[in-house]
Order: sequence, then C-alpha cells, then structure tokens
Amino acid sequence: MPLESTAESPFLTPFSNSSSENLAILYLSRDLQVPVQLKEASQTLSRTETNSATNSDADRDIVVNTRFGSFPHSTLVDLPWGSQVLASKVDTGSWAKKPNGKKRKRDESQKGEPSEHDRDSEELSSRREQGQRQAKPVIAADSGFAHLVPPTPEIWTRALKHRTQVVYTPDYSYILQRLRVRPGTCLIEAGAGSGSFTHAAARAVFNVAHVRKKKKYGKVYSFEFHEPRAGLLEQDIVGHGLQSIVQLTHRDVYKDGFCVDDASIEGAPRADAIFLDLPAPWLALKHLIRGGTTEGSYSSPLNPRTTTRICTFSPCIEQAQRTITTLRSLGWVEIEMVEIMHKRLEVRRERVGLQEEGLRGVNPSPANVSEAFERLKEIEGRQRAFHENQPEEQKAKQAMANSLGMISKAERLKNIRDAEAKRKLYKEGRLVHRTEPELKTHTSYLVFAVLSRQWTADDEKLCREKWPLGDA
Amino acid sequence: MHSSIQPHSYVVLRLPSSTLKIVQVVPNTIVSIGKFGSFPANLLLGRPYHLTFDILEKNESNPQTDLRIVSAAELHAEAILDEGDSPSESRDELSADTADGVEYDVQDDGSVTLRSNQNTIDDPNRQSLSLEDIEELKKLSTGRDIIELLMKSHSGLDEKTAFSLAKYAVRKRGKYLKRFTVLPLDVSLLLEWVLTEKEAPRIMELREELLGLVLCWSNVHHMMPLSNAYCPDDVSASGRWLVIDETSGLIVAALAEKIGVLYEEEEDEEDEERELPDSSRSYPQLNGMPVKVHQSDAISTEEKCSDTQSNGVPSDSAANRSSTLQPQMPVNRPPKHSVRAQSATSNSITLLHAATQPNISLLKYFGYDDSNANEKHHLFMHLKTLSWLQLLSPEADSTYQEPEVVPDNILQTWRGGKKSSYFRKRRRWERVKDVIDDTRRGDFDGLVIASVMEPAEILRHLLPLLKGGAPVVVFSPNVEPLVKLTDLFSKARRTAFMTNPPDDSDMPTEDFPIDPTLMLNTMLQTSRARSWQVLPGRTHPLMMARGGAEGYIFTGTRVLKGEGAARARGRFSKKRKIERGEEIEDDS
Repeated sequence: MPLESTAESPFLTPFSNSSSENLAILYLSRDLQVPVQLKEASQTLSRTETNSATNSDADRDIVVNTRFGSFPHSTLVDLPWGSQVLASKVDTGSWAKKPNGKKRKRDESQKGEPSEHDRDSEELSSRREQGQRQAKPVIAADSGFAHLVPPTPEIWTRALKHRTQVVYTPDYSYILQRLRVRPGTCLIEAGAGSGSFTHAAARAVFNVAHVRKKKKYGKVYSFEFHEPRAGLLEQDIVGHGLQSIVQLTHRDVYKDGFCVDDASIEGAPRADAIFLDLPAPWLALKHLIRGGTTEGSYSSPLNPRTTTRICTFSPCIEQAQRTITTLRSLGWVEIEMVEIMHKRLEVRRERVGLQEEGLRGVNPSPANVSEAFERLKEIEGRQRAFHENQPEEQKAKQAMANSLGMISKAERLKNIRDAEAKRKLYKEGRLVHRTEPELKTHTSYLVFAVLSRQWTADDEKLCREKWPLGDA
Repeated sequence: MHSSIQPHSYVVLRLPSSTLKIVQVVPNTIVSIGKFGSFPANLLLGRPYHLTFDILEKNESNPQTDLRIVSAAELHAEAILDEGDSPSESRDELSADTADGVEYDVQDDGSVTLRSNQNTIDDPNRQSLSLEDIEELKKLSTGRDIIELLMKSHSGLDEKTAFSLAKYAVRKRGKYLKRFTVLPLDVSLLLEWVLTEKEAPRIMELREELLGLVLCWSNVHHMMPLSNAYCPDDVSASGRWLVIDETSGLIVAALAEKIGVLYEEEEDEEDEERELPDSSRSYPQLNGMPVKVHQSDAISTEEKCSDTQSNGVPSDSAANRSSTLQPQMPVNRPPKHSVRAQSATSNSITLLHAATQPNISLLKYFGYDDSNANEKHHLFMHLKTLSWLQLLSPEADSTYQEPEVVPDNILQTWRGGKKSSYFRKRRRWERVKDVIDDTRRGDFDGLVIASVMEPAEILRHLLPLLKGGAPVVVFSPNVEPLVKLTDLFSKARRTAFMTNPPDDSDMPTEDFPIDPTLMLNTMLQTSRARSWQVLPGRTHPLMMARGGAEGYIFTGTRVLKGEGAARARGRFSKKRKIERGEEIEDDS
C-alpha cells in the first residue's frame, strides 16, 4: 500500500519502530539480508478489500522462512529497530496437505536466486490462498534468530533483486560526492536499472520545506527505457514511500531527451547533476545542453542558474572515449575519467603451531624455530629408542615410551582436540587482514565533467555595472 | 550554495600548474596569484563558477588589468583537433598520423620509418632562447606569445612525435599561461586542497573516495522533523548525528553538507519574486516570545511538540528539554539572543572532542568560526559540541553547575555590565546543560568517528548512545586499529560471549573490551580512485598518484541486546552457503 508522504519513507525517516506496510530488513548474516514489506495479518484483511478473504483468513500470518528459522510477520511488526527476533515454531507441514494445496516446489531456477520479497505479489497472494490458519499464538523455536534493521540504500543495494548490473556503494558514494549531490539538488538519472543508485540519490537530495518560499526541493528524475523494469522500479519507489522525490519516466532518452512535466517545478527537471548509466551516453548528451537565449528555442533540462555536473558510467573504455569526445565538442570542461578500486578486507586469526595438529582451518606446522627444534629432537630420540630397543618386547617398549613422556599419535590428537574446547580461540594466533576472496577488479569507467552556466556579454555588462572596477 | 561568486566568500582558483589556491573575494581589492599575476576582485564578483579566465595585463591598449573568459572550445582546442584528424585526411606526403597514434616519416630515399624518440638529442641548447631572453619576454608578452616563441625557437621541435610535442606544450602552458579557473569552495575541493597543498595529516589523509564511503555508510541525510501527529510516539526520530572529528572539522563540514546545514541559502536569486517582503517569513511564537527560526518552522513545531508531550506523557528527557526551552527570563532577555546556540533538535551534529575546545578550524572557509560564531549560520544552532569530560562526568565540569538565579527585582537594580554578564553566564549554562543532557539521553541516528584514539574504547562509551539500527562508521588512515576493532566483533568472539556472557558489572573484561553483540554487519573496506588520461590515441592511467596513508573504514550497525538466550541455528557446509536456499513464503 503506497505511503501517503515521503516523510514516512523508512529510508528517510526511520521511526524508532518497524511498522506494518513498511519495508524492514531482516538481517541474518552479512551476506543474507532479506527485505520484508511488513504486513500484519489483520491489516491485510482490512486494507485489501479485493481479497476474497473470510473471517478466518484474518488470522493468517505471512511468514519469512530462512535457513536461520521462520519469522511470521506478526513477530516483526512494531519492534524497535535493531531488535533481536527469535525464530518461531511454524507448522510447515499441514497447509501443504490441504485438498487444493499443491505442494510447494521451488524449481531449480528459483532456487538459485536470492530471496524475493513480495514484489511477486501475485505469486504471494496465490500462495496466501493456500495459507493455513494460525489462530494460536506464535511460539518461539528452540534456535534461530535474526535482527530487524531499518532499510538503507546500502542494504537495499545488496538485497535488491538484480534486474541489471547494479551500481554498488563504492561507485555511487564516490559519484554522489563528485556530483555534489546535496539536499535540494535536482538530479537526472538515466538508466535507472534496478534502482540501487536511485535510492542513494533520493536520500542525498531529500530536504523539507524551509521558511523561505522559494526553497528548492531536491528531486530525482529517473528514466528507464525498458518498460517491465520501469514498472518494477515504480513499484519499489511507491512501496518505499519515495514517490514524491523520485519521478520515474519510461522513455528512450536518446530519442526523446529529458524534459518532463512536473507540477512542483517550473521548466522541470532543471537539473544540477546528471548520472548516465546508459550503453551509449554520447547519444543522450545532445539533449543536455543549455537553452538558447531567444524565446521559443530549445528548452533545456538543465538548471540555467547553476553549474551542471555529469557522470557517465560505462564498463568499456571505448564507450568512455566516445563520451569524452562528445563532451569536449559540446563545451563540457574539467573532464576526468576514473575507475574505482574497492576492496573489502577480512580480518582473521591465523593459527600456526604444533598444538594445532589435526584441527581444521589452521596450519599445524611449527610456529617458530624452537618448536621445530624440540619436535625434531623428540622424533630423533624416539627413533633412537626404537632402534636400541628393537629386540625387546612390545610391553617394554611402551614402558620406555611412557618413561620418556611419549604418547601415541592418536592420543596426542585427542589431547589436542580436548584442549581446543578450553582454548579461547578468538584471541589466539596472529591477527591478520587480507582482501576478501571475491574481488571486483573493474566495475566501470566513471567520466566526470562540468558545464558552467551560460554567461553572456549582457550578463557581464550588468556585473561590471554592479561591481565597477574603479580607478585602480 | 550560491551559484555565483559572492562578496567575501572563499573561492578556489586552479592555476595553470594545476595547483589550487584559496582566495577570499573581498570587493575593491586586488587578488594576487603569485607569478601568474594579479587582478581586481571585482572582476570575479557576481560571475558564475567554473569559468576559466586569462589575465590581460595592463598595457597601451588596456588601461586596466582585465580578465577574458576562455571558452571551452579554446580549452579543448588541441584535443578536438586531434579527434577531428581522421586517418585518411592526415595521410599527407611527409608524415602520416594514424588513429592508433603511430606516426611515420618518409625519408629522402623514399623509405618509410616509424617516428620515435630514437634520435632525440638530449641537449638543453636546442632551445635557442636563453633564460634572460625568456625573463625579458615574460615582462612584455602574454603567456601565449611566449609559448609560441619558445616553440618556434626550439630546434628539435619537428623531430618530436605529436604526443611528445603535446606534452611539451602542456608543460610550457603550465609554466607561462596567465590563466586560472574559478571553482566553488565546497567540502570535496577543500579536501583536495588540504591534501595536495596543505598538510594532509591535518585531515588524517582522508581522500574523497573514503569520504564518500563514510557519508553513505553513515546514512547521514536531511531528516524530516516530525510533524505533530507523530510527535507523541516518536519525538526522537529527527536526525541527530554523533561525531568525533579530528580532521580539523572536515568531517563535520561534510556531514553538514549532506544534512543541508553547511551553506547559506541562496538569497538573491535573480528571480521575479526575489523582493519578498520580510513579513512573508514566518516567525513562530514560542511561549509567547517571538523566535526567529533559521532552519525551518518545522523544527519549532517539534519543540512545541515536545512541550505538549511533557504535559501529557511524563517523560524525563522531554520535560527537561521543554523546561530549558522556556525562556527563563523573558522580560530581561536581550532580543538579539533569541536564537539559541546549539539548540536545534533535528538535523543536528553533536561533536565530541578530546581537548577543552573542539578543533574545527576548517569550518572558517564555510563562514563559521567557533570562537566568534555567526548566529545566522545554520551551524550556530545545528552544531553542538561537548568534551569527553562533559559527556562522561558532567558534574566534574564547572560549566554544568547552575549559576545562581537572581530575582527580577534585584536584577533591576544591577548595572548594565553586571546584568549582561549574569545573562551570559545563565545562557552558557543553559546551552551547556542542554547539550550535555541531550547527548547523554542518547538515541542518536548514527555515529561517525575519525580519531587517533583507540576506537574500541570510544565505541564502548558511545554505542549505548545510539538507536537500534543506527550505523557506525570509523575512519582510520591506517588499517591496524580497525583490524583490532573488527576482531573484537568476530564471529568466534561473539559466539563465546553469547554462550558464556560475563556479568554486566564485570564489563569490560579482558576478553571482551566491548560487548560484541551490540553491533553486527561489521565490515572493513578501502577504496581508491584511479585517474586516467583520455586523449585520442593516448589513453592510459595517470602515471603518478598520491601515496601515503591508504585510508580504511570500518562500518557496522548498532543492535539492541537480545532478551533471553538466542541460539544460532544451522551449521551449513560451504556448498550450501553459496546456494542461498532462503525464501519467503506464505505459511501457517
């Protein structure tokens, strides 16, 4: 259900509690953060009249199932953010046995995908039809928990369903910084894709009314030429309460440019900043020029009073080169190309030493020279004892070994395993850091440029009158 | 931020040598940029940013020093020329350029050789102009003329490849052109300036890439002060950020920029309605006293709202705040102090400092001076400062003790000086008490740390002051402190803590300097932007970049302590982990 106003977007004004009809993130592990559009069972009934629900359906509770347990929405609504939620005991068996219920099967294609939330509302409602009543109160399971955290563009970027290549945080954070996107900025984004950049940009431009009337409101004018993707993104925008900040248009910007109708801003978009994530940004650049000075001329999507900053995002160097050539010919200056190299580091304890023998994830070789020396001496001694005592009986040999303090290998390994349980492994070993196993070595080339506002001879003349040179 | 250059504002000039210079544009003065010349400041005032100017020196035809705008086409002249050269056109008889940047010479015997630096003669005497000649020229001619002459009198010029010629020209331009570009002084540019022109350690060698990451991961943004309807339930959700900034105020400035309280509003837009009468601004009444609101009336709505709350719902913090909000001495309070310093309840930055006074010296470039604060600046209300002493042990701080209240009738008899000193003390106490109480109340929306102090100890004190779900970002120029910090939140340590939690009274223990269950989603990262040169046939990464501290950030999310014992579920093999078998479904 769309939210009434932007102030209620959980991205912009996270109230201290989670609430029904709003997005929340169920945090399970760093690589598993599930976005959940919360719906309380009773509200589902009261608000969706179209649902041919019977009274009993009111008790139906939607459940998020994860490999760390099941979480009915009723256990997630109206909790303070950051709360720990215990998994619930959920009867997953009986509903499947309903007469009309086809056993839920996930085909292979679905299995591989990260979790989807109720973007697939159709699928969800059809499943809801099979839903089993749960009138009894929710019972906590023996194990399993998660944390409920408010959504941020960073979490959303990791959790969203990829429809296209996503602009990740290291790139968009730098882009927003370089484009000087601030509260009140009007930003054009073309090639909205999966909406990762859109969310971060919406957060950056958001501002509220000031005393002064002529206050400029921040806004993101987003364009996407792939219709189904545009539709899905629109659903996200509305679902996340961002519709008053993000205006999404389904359009081919190469052909039709960037001018839009917007009741709140005259001559929209009046953009201060532009982000183009398009296959051929140079084709769109012809629409991003200053308007002519005479009346009735080409109307420009740029803010005539400010410097316009642009960033294009292209994976291939040829695209970037062509873009730069076009930018130069259209009068953009301060052209610069960079690529972002981002690394995530993992921190671990590297345990090396003979005391680790037989344990997992460690290096059981000697940790230092003295350990190696002692070990070699011990082996040497044992061998000598063996050779010297060869003719003697087994028993005597054992006695000999014991007297030397030697034990069998099996015994030694057992001792090590027993000792491990008592050790504080989290503070042992050498603390090291290294790049995480998966390293993105290239995302895209970022081309930055600025276009200063138009400055005519008349403007200069006025300025010289206002700031006369005097008789210097 | 203004779109044109305002009187007395700071701007950045980029010189031909690509060094940055900060100048304050004071009307009717001369701006000097060293060997590149000087010009009247009035030639910049009112002009837009990002224009490039040539300095036209005073001479016979020019009675005064003047500036000429250099068009983009002129700036790009060479690059555009090269791009225009299609291979077929340039394949003339003597030299042939191809698009791939390889050039050929046709020798006298008709053979074609690849042009290269094979036969370049490294001899300074190939330049026929002497140093004295050049010095003489510099006095008389413009930069462009000098460069032209220099190139003419270089005997080996025609042996150069086009690329080395271009490099030569760029070098000479950097040296002789009297040209500069005017850029607006914002946080990113200030950062670049300190990093390249001043002492980088002053800002902990923070690079723009990392600043960008800090600002995103801290989720800092403008927040809507809550309207009345929501107030009773949620008075705190209004954007309060806790900061430790040892970068001379750069982090504070960056946060303020993102929150929207760093720059002044554009006052004199060339707008039809620019002549708004003063009455169109609203001055909301607060407890019968006119309050001038700089930021938004929404803020004062919230203040009112916390009053209502204290009447209705008993809440210590709100009651405290509302009592201090009510003017103590409405009759005698001088009206010019109706704007209370550090009194914003929303979109505020609380700066915690280790010395008696905070070091926020870089804020002066944004018109904010801490020792002599301009009360028209947003930061006057929105930046709150307190020391560690004031946070941890307010009673030990003398400014926290309430000065004696003097009844009105006695006050009337006092001399002006004594009276105003009395009011000053009262005001300072009110301000300090407000800030301290407000900070100790906690419920902050985020925490950003850039400090040389031990991060774990900082977090031990400050994590409890954060809201659940609030982001934590720690910047460090070196990785080691953050590696140690990350290790305190390792999975193994957290599991050990949860299986056998130490007594609250024992915390911090040696094994657990900080409760590892208070934060999750911990991550350690670094980032670097690599710049490229993009020219036709000459595209490659730049050969040099700044070394020094790499810069790292640690991020995490504050979570609330779980009630009851929670046990982790599932030990999955590596293979299973990759599959991500999680799903959402309708059930039970």
